[in-house]
Order: sequence, then structure tokens, then C-alpha cells
Amino acid sequence: MNLVSLALRNLKRRPVRTCLSVLGIALAVGSALALTALSRSIQDSTREGMDEIGGDLVVMQKGASDIFGGFIPEATVERIAAIPGVTRVSGALVAFAPGRTGNNVLTFGWPDKSDLWKKIPLREGRVPAAGERHVAVPGDTAAASLGKKLNDELVLFGETFRVVGIAGYASTVNRGLVLVPLVDLQEASYRPRQVTIAQVSVENNGDRTELARMRGEIEALGNVVAAAPSEVLDHDRNFAILEAVSLAIVVVALGMSALNVLTALVLATQERTREIGIFAAIGWSSGRIMKSIVIEGMLMCVIGCSLGVLLSFLAAHAFPRLPTIGNLTSFRPSVGLIAPVIGAAFVLCVLGALLPAWRAVRMLPAEALRRM
Amino acid sequence: MIEAIDRGAGSNRSSGAKSLIALRGVSRIHDGGAIAALRNVDLQIREGDCVAVVGASGSGKSSLVNILCGIDYPTSGHVIWQGRPIRKKKDWVWLRRLRIGIVFQEFNLIPTLTVLENVELALLGRGMSAKHRYTRAGMVLGRVGLDHRPHHLVTRLSGGERQRVAIARAIVSEPKLLLADEPTGNLDSASAEKIADLLFDLREMTGMTLILVTHDDALAARCTRQIRLRDGTVVEDTLRALISGSIGAKSKI
Repeated sequence: MNLVSLALRNLKRRPVRTCLSVLGIALAVGSALALTALSRSIQDSTREGMDEIGGDLVVMQKGASDIFGGFIPEATVERIAAIPGVTRVSGALVAFAPGRTGNNVLTFGWPDKSDLWKKIPLREGRVPAAGERHVAVPGDTAAASLGKKLNDELVLFGETFRVVGIAGYASTVNRGLVLVPLVDLQEASYRPRQVTIAQVSVENNGDRTELARMRGEIEALGNVVAAAPSEVLDHDRNFAILEAVSLAIVVVALGMSALNVLTALVLATQERTREIGIFAAIGWSSGRIMKSIVIEGMLMCVIGCSLGVLLSFLAAHAFPRLPTIGNLTSFRPSVGLIAPVIGAAFVLCVLGALLPAWRAVRMLPAEALRRM
Repeated sequence: MIEAIDRGAGSNRSSGAKSLIALRGVSRIHDGGAIAALRNVDLQIREGDCVAVVGASGSGKSSLVNILCGIDYPTSGHVIWQGRPIRKKKDWVWLRRLRIGIVFQEFNLIPTLTVLENVELALLGRGMSAKHRYTRAGMVLGRVGLDHRPHHLVTRLSGGERQRVAIARAIVSEPKLLLADEPTGNLDSASAEKIADLLFDLREMTGMTLILVTHDDALAARCTRQIRLRDGTVVEDTLRALISGSIGAKSKI
């Protein structure tokens, strides 16, 4: 017998309370993980999507609140193309286009002559021919969620598009988008001669100095910023808000789990006052008594956290079914994601257990032994 | 430092035996002065003594025992172990872990644990291996006649058997002082007699000091020294009577 087996016996002795407390911790940890995963996966998926489409720099309107929130004139794209060292540039208009059923679909409009069309990993069909209008190439997930096959029609912004190909991108975001000719999207969204971002490829793209010089030259054109695809989201206000909201909910959820442990252990310790008196009477030190109570809290935390991780995996499977953002998210468990949440849960649970433990050892053993 | 408490020889000697534990001017006041459980008690217990503490209910017997083992603290005065005053909580913890065993009227066992585990509890945190603890607890259970039921939950035992477990737990550390607070108070007469026999036999075998709180005059008479309390004061102590020369008489103080 040791302190762990003693704590396990105590937990088994009050099965209902133990189960409810463990469930409380599990729900807190599960929801904390799910929220963090949701927030991170949208960012990660977007980054991966940008990387997959290609380009060394992404140019967007200076001061835009988010990546899709600013507009730059097509003329600027042409001026970027003229900068020495730029090998390729493609403007893209990005919009959440309302479909027939009211669901928004992430839609990219690319110019006819963009190299990006050629880089699409087609699963079926073809890419639009030069000058072809009102045609679309949805990603495979988007096609599946919209229920569209080759040659079917889909409605975006009230305009009808014919599906001529289906893309087989690897990243979650790209699998969920619809690609259409730029001019069609500009007309449908009342954004003539405007694009949201410009994707730029440069010579010597591995050379940081060269990239920095190119950024400087692009930004000198005025009212635009250029960033590496991986940095584009760093100053995105939508993601910042999403992260802040997620963090707030995570803190509340973990705080609730600490309260659960605190309540369970305060009640358990009150019930066991006499036992604590016995421990003191047979020579247990205050430290040992406190340790036995904290171990009990930690055991609840271990079981609760394990269940919580399991719950978060179940929640992750439900994410893709969420309307609007379902196609943009993917939950990928990693040590970096799970460890901080579990670490915070442990710290809070230990703190939650320390209060009743401290109260228990402050009492005189004789007084504790008089309690029923 | 704590070991120094144990090494220190009892400096106050009233006879040939060394002083084990003593009270000096000890009072215990409850409820802000409304109740005085003990009033200015001076007492000295020598190594090897067999002492009965007697008195009516509310006379202060349990308060005396609680203060002698440090599970309660005096409002004034102090307790001296082998000539050194004990003031710190950690010193009391050390004494209870290694030098003082306690047996309660209500047994005070952990109901979720087995007989053996209840005894093992007193050995936790002493740096002993699990195997050593197990062997030691089993051996002590043999001494109290419970080696045939080590893995039974204590809730399935009779009152007499539970008290045996409590005694085993109290002596597993081989204490110098065993305090028994009404150890037969919750038992039928047959069980009470067996428990009393066990306590006296153990004392005989180990030579430990025994302080027995009891209402039972017959049980008290088996001790070599009787202390009578009334209203928190020692009103009779056969040792003092012996020292003052009135041997055999129940001299009042």
C-alpha cells in the first residue's frame, strides 16, 4: 500500500462524486482542446492552403484587417509584374460567395492567363480554357458538400457556373474552395478590376536578402504590404479575435475544472476529517497528509484529462460537419497542442487540491478526531 | 535536533527510573475560558511505568491523554519528553511516529482498508520498503492474535478484533509510550478482558510505558500507579503517595 493506492481507494469509496468530478474535468479539458484546435486548425489550414497554391510573397492592401478584407487594383498587380526579379505574379479575388442554399463557399477568382490554373492537381475534368466564362473548378470536399459532379451547375452570388473540373488539393482549405475565372467573380461581387491578394514568385527565392529587397520594392508602390505566405496570418485581426475568444473560453473552462476538483476535494476532506485526524495521530506529517489529498486531486485530473483528450478527438470528427467553417478546419493532435492544456489543467487541479489539504492540516488532530 | 529530544536523558528523577514524559503547569481551557479541561497539572511519568488515569466523565482524562501525545496543545504550561520541552509541531509528529503509540476507545481505523493495511499506515513515510512494511505489520498482527485475518476489511471485524488492530497499529513502531484512552470502553466484558490482558502482556514483553485511561476500577488496579482526576485537577497519585511515605494508602493530594 502507498499514497496512490490509498487515494484510489478513497476515490472508489465515493463513486458518484468521483465520476461527476472527473466528468467535469474531462469536459473542461475536452472543450479547451477542441476550441484551441478549432482556432489553430483554421489558421494552419489557411497557411497550408497558401503554401500549396504557391508563391514566395503574398501582397495585400496595407492596413487590411484580415487577409480577405482588403482590395488592390489590378493595375498594381501589373506594376508588381514589372519589378525586376519578379518571375510570376497572379492577382486573386477571394470571396465567401453565397450559394443556392445560403451557405457561403470560399471562392477564388483567378485571371485566365494565371499560371496557378496550370498547377491545379486535377482529380477530374479540366481547367477553364482561355476566355471561357462561368465555369468552376471546386475542390473535392467542396464538390462533395455541394453535391456537385462534373458538368453540374452551381450558383454563386446568384450567377450560375458549370463544373468543368474537380481539384484534388491536399490542404483542407483548398479542398473546400471553388475556383472561377477572375472576371466572373469580379462582376458577380461588384469588384471590377480589383483583387484581394497578389501571389508573387521571385528569382532566387531562397535568398532572404533578395526577398527583403523585393518586399521593399513592392511596398514602395504604395498602399500594399508584402509578406511570406507563412507570415500573412500573423497580423490578421480575425484570427487574433478568434484566438482571444478561444483563449478566454479555454481559461474559463479550465477554471471550472479546477473548481470541480476544489469542490470535490473540499467535500471529501470535510467528510474525512476524522481520517485526517487519525493520520495525524499515528504520526503522519502535515506534508504527508497534504500529499495524500493532492495525489487524490491529481488522480482525478489524470483520469479527467485522459477522458478530455478522448472527447476532443470526438469533437474533432464533428468539426467538418460545422456549417460555413467545416471545410476549413482539421484537427491534428500534437504534443504542442495537448501539452499546454493538460499542463494548465494539472496546475489548476493541484492548486484546487491544495486549499482543502491546507485546511485539513491546520486542524488540531484531537479536534479532527471528535468529528463524525 | 529531534533525535536530541530522544537522546536527552530525563533529568528529573523521582526514583531510580528516568523520566519519560512530564507535564509542567499544564492547563487546557476551551471556549474562551468557559471550560477548563485541565488546571495547572504537574505530572511525571517514568520509563516503564504502568499508569491508570481514572476519574468521572468530564474530569479531564481524555484531555490529559491528548496533551500527552500532542494531538492537542496546552493553553498554558508545557510538556517535557525525556527532560526536553516539546513545543514544535514537527517534534510531536516525530514522537507520534516513532515513540508514542495511541489506542482509542472508538478504534479509529480506516474503514476502506484491510487489517494489514491499517497497521501498515503507521509505517508509511519511514523509508521502509513495501515488503519490509508488509512483513513487519504481519508480524505485529501475530503478536495481537490477528495473523489469520490480515486481508479482511476492518469493517467486517468484531469490536474486540478491531481494537486488536488498533493496538497492533499503535505498537508497530515499537513505541516507548503506549497511551490507551478507554480501550475497553466499547467492548463487551469478555472482549474487554482479553484486550486488557493483551495490553498488559505487551507491556510485560516490551517494557514500554503504558498509560491507560479507564472507568474500570478493576482494570486500574492492575496498573502499578493510579492517577485520579477531578475537574481537571490531579486529586490522587499513588506515586506521590509512595514518595511521601504512605505506601499502599490512597493518599489524596
